[in-house]
Amino acid sequence: MNGPLIVQSDKTLLLEVDHEQADACRRAIAPFAELERAPEHIHTYRVTPLGLWNARAAGHDAEQVVDALVEFSRYPVPHALLVDVAETMARYGRLRLLKHPTHGLVLETSDRPVLEEILRSKRVQPLVGARIDPDTVVVHPSERGQIKQTLLKLGWPAEDLAGYVDGEAHPIELREDGWGLRPYQKQAVEGFWHGGSGVVVLPCGAGKTLVGAGAMATAKSTTLILVTNTVSARQWKHELVRRTSLTEEEIGEYSGTRKEIRPVTIATYQVLTTKRKGIYPHLELFDSRDWGLIVYDEVHLLPAPVFKFTADLQARRRLGLTATLVREDGRESDVFSLIGPKRFDAPWKEIEAQGYIAPADCVEVRVNLTETERLAYATAETEEKYRYCATTGSKRRVTEALVARHRGQQTLVIGQYIDQLDELGEHLDAPVIKGETTNAQREKLFDAFRQGELSVLVVSKVANFSIDLPEATVAIQVSGTFGSRQEEAQRLGRVLRPKADGHPAVFYSVVARDTIDQDFAAHRQRFLAEQGYAYRIVDAGELLADEDV
Amino acid sequence: MAAETGPADGGRGAPRTLAEELRTRPDDALATLLRARPDLLSPVPNDLTQLATRAGTRASVVRAVERLDRFALQTAEALAVAPDPCPYETLRDLMTGTGDQPGPDDQPGSGGEPAGAASLPDGLRARIAEELPRAVATLRRQALVWGGDDKLRLVRTARELLTPSPGAPSPTGLGPTVQEATAGTSPGRLQELLATAGLPPTHDPVTAVAALAGLFGDRARMAALLAGAPEGALAVLAKLVWGPPYGEVSVAAPSPPVAWLLERGLLLPSGPRNVVLPREVALHLRGGRAHRAPEPLPPPLPPAAEHRPQAVDSTAAGQAFTALDTVEELMGQWETAAPQVLRAGGLSVRDLKRTAAALDVTEQTAAFWIELAYAAGLLASDGETDERYAPTPAYDDWLRLAPEERWAGLVSAWLAATRTAGLIGARDAKGRTLAALGPELDRSPAPEVRRRLLTLLAAVPSGASADADGLLARLRWERPPHRGAAPAVPAPSSPSGAGSVPGSASSASPGDDLRSRLARWTLTEAELLGVTGRGALSSHGRALLGLPPEGPAPAAAAAQPTTPAETATATANAARLLAPLLPEPLDHVLLQADLTAVAPGPLERPLAETLGVLAEVESKGGATVYRFTPASVRRALDAGRAADDLHTFLTAHSRTPVPQPLAYLIDDVARKHGHLRIGAASAYVRCDDEALLVEILADRRSAGLRLRRLAPTVLASQAPPDALLDGLRAMGYAPAAESAEGDVLITRAEAQRTPPRTAPTPVPDGPPRPDDTLLGAAVRAIRAGDLAATAPHKPVPAAAGTASGRLPRTTSADTLATMQAAALTGSAVWIGYVNADGAASQRVIAPVRVEGGFVTAYDHTADEVRTYPLHRITGVAELADEAG
Repeated sequence: MNGPLIVQSDKTLLLEVDHEQADACRRAIAPFAELERAPEHIHTYRVTPLGLWNARAAGHDAEQVVDALVEFSRYPVPHALLVDVAETMARYGRLRLLKHPTHGLVLETSDRPVLEEILRSKRVQPLVGARIDPDTVVVHPSERGQIKQTLLKLGWPAEDLAGYVDGEAHPIELREDGWGLRPYQKQAVEGFWHGGSGVVVLPCGAGKTLVGAGAMATAKSTTLILVTNTVSARQWKHELVRRTSLTEEEIGEYSGTRKEIRPVTIATYQVLTTKRKGIYPHLELFDSRDWGLIVYDEVHLLPAPVFKFTADLQARRRLGLTATLVREDGRESDVFSLIGPKRFDAPWKEIEAQGYIAPADCVEVRVNLTETERLAYATAETEEKYRYCATTGSKRRVTEALVARHRGQQTLVIGQYIDQLDELGEHLDAPVIKGETTNAQREKLFDAFRQGELSVLVVSKVANFSIDLPEATVAIQVSGTFGSRQEEAQRLGRVLRPKADGHPAVFYSVVARDTIDQDFAAHRQRFLAEQGYAYRIVDAGELLADEDV
Repeated sequence: MAAETGPADGGRGAPRTLAEELRTRPDDALATLLRARPDLLSPVPNDLTQLATRAGTRASVVRAVERLDRFALQTAEALAVAPDPCPYETLRDLMTGTGDQPGPDDQPGSGGEPAGAASLPDGLRARIAEELPRAVATLRRQALVWGGDDKLRLVRTARELLTPSPGAPSPTGLGPTVQEATAGTSPGRLQELLATAGLPPTHDPVTAVAALAGLFGDRARMAALLAGAPEGALAVLAKLVWGPPYGEVSVAAPSPPVAWLLERGLLLPSGPRNVVLPREVALHLRGGRAHRAPEPLPPPLPPAAEHRPQAVDSTAAGQAFTALDTVEELMGQWETAAPQVLRAGGLSVRDLKRTAAALDVTEQTAAFWIELAYAAGLLASDGETDERYAPTPAYDDWLRLAPEERWAGLVSAWLAATRTAGLIGARDAKGRTLAALGPELDRSPAPEVRRRLLTLLAAVPSGASADADGLLARLRWERPPHRGAAPAVPAPSSPSGAGSVPGSASSASPGDDLRSRLARWTLTEAELLGVTGRGALSSHGRALLGLPPEGPAPAAAAAQPTTPAETATATANAARLLAPLLPEPLDHVLLQADLTAVAPGPLERPLAETLGVLAEVESKGGATVYRFTPASVRRALDAGRAADDLHTFLTAHSRTPVPQPLAYLIDDVARKHGHLRIGAASAYVRCDDEALLVEILADRRSAGLRLRRLAPTVLASQAPPDALLDGLRAMGYAPAAESAEGDVLITRAEAQRTPPRTAPTPVPDGPPRPDDTLLGAAVRAIRAGDLAATAPHKPVPAAAGTASGRLPRTTSADTLATMQAAALTGSAVWIGYVNADGAASQRVIAPVRVEGGFVTAYDHTADEVRTYPLHRITGVAELADEAG
């Protein structure tokens, strides 16, 4: 009775990391508990119905969960919680979606009252057809996703055993010359393939693209890859050509500028969600080929319309990739029901410890505003306040000083406001990449940065996602999208790719003291602080005076 | 019915009345009776005749019958349909069925044999035969049955209570006898019945009925009669055989099988549209059995799940600790935000909801904690004009106790409470919702059910939990739900329509009666309180019941602590067992860079209090997670702490270095704290920082505060200071209020208390259990009174009344002389006495002293020494026999 785990009545689990059994305990609870916070001493996991169902989907049963809790718990586990765990887990799989030899897609139950209950729901009624026998009801094949979503909301998640179409076969092999999938990437691919569909959670820089490539090489069929933007699309293409047997001709890009449909097609969310005259003209992409696999990059950013399309694609294998399942809009349950359960998850710090991502030093630089700036800030309109304090001259000066300190190191300056970035670009004599920069220009600049021809790059939020800048070692954030936690995580991800010399990365967040900027910064840092990235706070004055901070 | 004269001319010495039989019982048997039926004791009856009369009153008999176990009740029910008196063998046959009944094989036309008539398995019959003496003994012990084994008699009231009648069908499912059912039938009709049944005609209706009953009771003739039944007739009988015995048919135009039965009296009309199956016929069809499913043995209690006893104990202890926490949190809520008392009494639903949300439990559970605190005397209404609930001073005392003592306080209040939280939220008979802390929540059987259920749990091997349904079935066996709970009017089933209803299951759906509901609540509540863990009784729970730590559970009803002293010892033992299982309070927390602090266990009280001010509680349970926010730090600063204090405090209580962001947070807030100062005199804002004041003035949200700039560093406001404070805080500043002298005002919420209050006393059902001393005294008193009433005395000379029951009359000189003689010899005498109210009585006294016109004597009747004025004594007589 001296375990590392404390089970709280609100279903959070506190894990004492320095405990000798901590690792064993972490492995035991990881399948069903979501890591919520991972600061230095005590990690917080949360047991949610979604997490428990994820565990059920991965083949764990309630007995294992209860055993894990009881074995590692320091204090007696509340009986009510154990009962609740067992009951919640028992809800999964009472309803199953199956393929019936004559009736097509059917919903079958092992517990008749549950079927009766859900059939009485107004939301389920339009989705089902005739009752075949007391335990089975026909489901319209087009409503496979819809019914899964609805059943999850009703608290009776259905297990989807209706299988997948193989899709059009297409040979794809990994070309492992001089590199190989890392162990955790292999596990992720296996976990996904075994489960059929689902989400793989890996930190930025941990090689999510390779997990996608690995999945494609396993599926060996035509693949549709959905990414956030064109730059990211190009990078996927580049990476696939480099790492797999695919050639440039086999990979198509479907974006605002090009509309190619090839055995492997990479499309952006933006083009899919473009609406003309009330319809989505590019939707046919989903039906244009017999896709065997659909990959969703950055699944936490999946726009709502794509969820809707995805509901119609339930017969195809789906792989979601993300660094964090935290969605600012709280639609985690839609990801669960439409893309699939979480199939693999590794905490950032664990992968960092294995040396696959670079350790990072996070520093919050607090800048004192000048008296004039303070007065101006004080009298600014509320909606202008953040913009004003985020873009003050004091911050610019501190940023310049920081860039100067890291001269010679690949440095990214990231910000939200274009005029601020332009000004910084001018002062630092560095190119600025923003929305209006053409894709060709962007790639050119990124290339130059990659080659080391450029050491400082100023980027707006267009570069937030999926750009691969292997040698960036310093990132300086001057402003952000208010309090967005996942943006902060993504930005930190820019510097987390392992450095050739093992040099630690530095992430600066420049913040104006005693302003709303500071509040937003605190909110943004929460996700990373919870992931174990402790921010140091440094006064700008000290930083500038003392070279060794 | 059997002749009433039977027993009188029976054997010599056989008691003729219950009183006579009681007189022959030894003292301890009387004590047993009084222990089982304590209502007979208040007031102590004067003599055995009075005791017997009282034991026969309806209220007392109903109470006793309600407390019978199922088999004893079934036995009593069988006796109620048996002849009176009833020989033991007859009773046994009614319970087991007659062994030689015609089986389906030797019954001609066996196709129509009612399915239920198949005889009971031999094993069950053997068990019934084994258990029956126990059941009869139980009934006898309770004075519900008396007479020798050859003449068992059910007391008349019980018989009336249990005999079937159309209004109150018996659980046996038997109908009226032929005699009862044919009352009011015309002699002509009786003649027809006799003729059809092939009996010799007679003109006397009584003889006719007896002949018919004789036919139905004769196995062989009856079998022959039924053998000739037309198709369908037996099926009709089969529908009625296990009751209810009333069927709906058209008596005027019956179907052929029904007509055949009616013609022979096998069915008798009970109304224009109803027929009844006479008891004798039903018994024949049933193979002589009164009950379809006799239950001689209590249902077994299979263990539901086995756990290690240590796991059970520690789970229970964990829950016990949580219980203490929850009560403390509840009181913490209510001492600052005391909820109002409704005009009708009790807590409003809104307050209950709010409390439930604050405690993060369901409303039902919140109601339980509230009622528990109330029962333990920790909270009460304060009795002010604006009446509110608040913690009592007893709560402060309770807080100072050790955790296990606090637990003991809660649990002993719970065990004894008759208020039942489970009812809260339900509606009473008038459709009003029952409010927590409100009236009408007392349910007398609650303490008994709680104790009994836990005792049953103690009967399964330690560490094992029992199946809830099994427990409920056992409870229902021990104390079957009384028939008041049964559906009022059983719908008469049509013989050609609905199937038969098993007689013994005529009560409402199992589990709906009060005792079952109480039992279910008990299971939940015992788990919440940590008396049980994972459904099994913990060792401290066992001690709480006063049970030995190990070994089999005691027999029913035995080993219950009856006196407060025993209960207190048991509770203290339980607390002692619990103490080592409770976690030790810690003196440190773990501080983390994400601005949280984790206390990996319960904290020492002062530490917990300070942290509670300095940080918000984010999650509770075995550990507590605190989060530091600017608001919480500001709250600590408001409470008079300085930033340095806080740093020192955190350093002292943290196992790890204070993380930098936390230190920054405190310094940042402290730097701003008190930066703004607001006076009460004219409500001003002053600040050395001009820019800040400009910022406030420029903020549109400050318009409501009507601020005006007095000087570069001072703002004045028309708003009252507290509104100003709130307004500025809402805008995100950290102002401090200051007094006229310029000191910072310290704000801290006052904790509310009621005046001293006592806990509600339980309202137990019936009189308390008498202890042995009282029982002994009572038995002696009854004996003595009986002696006085019945002892034959020597013929009294002169005009003294000779017939017993009359007051003795002697002259005053004789009286004085006899008294003095008796005082010398120490013998007892029989006196007539008229008290100050003029009421005459007879007493047996042993005079001690005779002087000054008074006799001081030991009064056997009253069992105490009394003084009697000589002039009030009507006469005296010596006792014929030596008065024991």
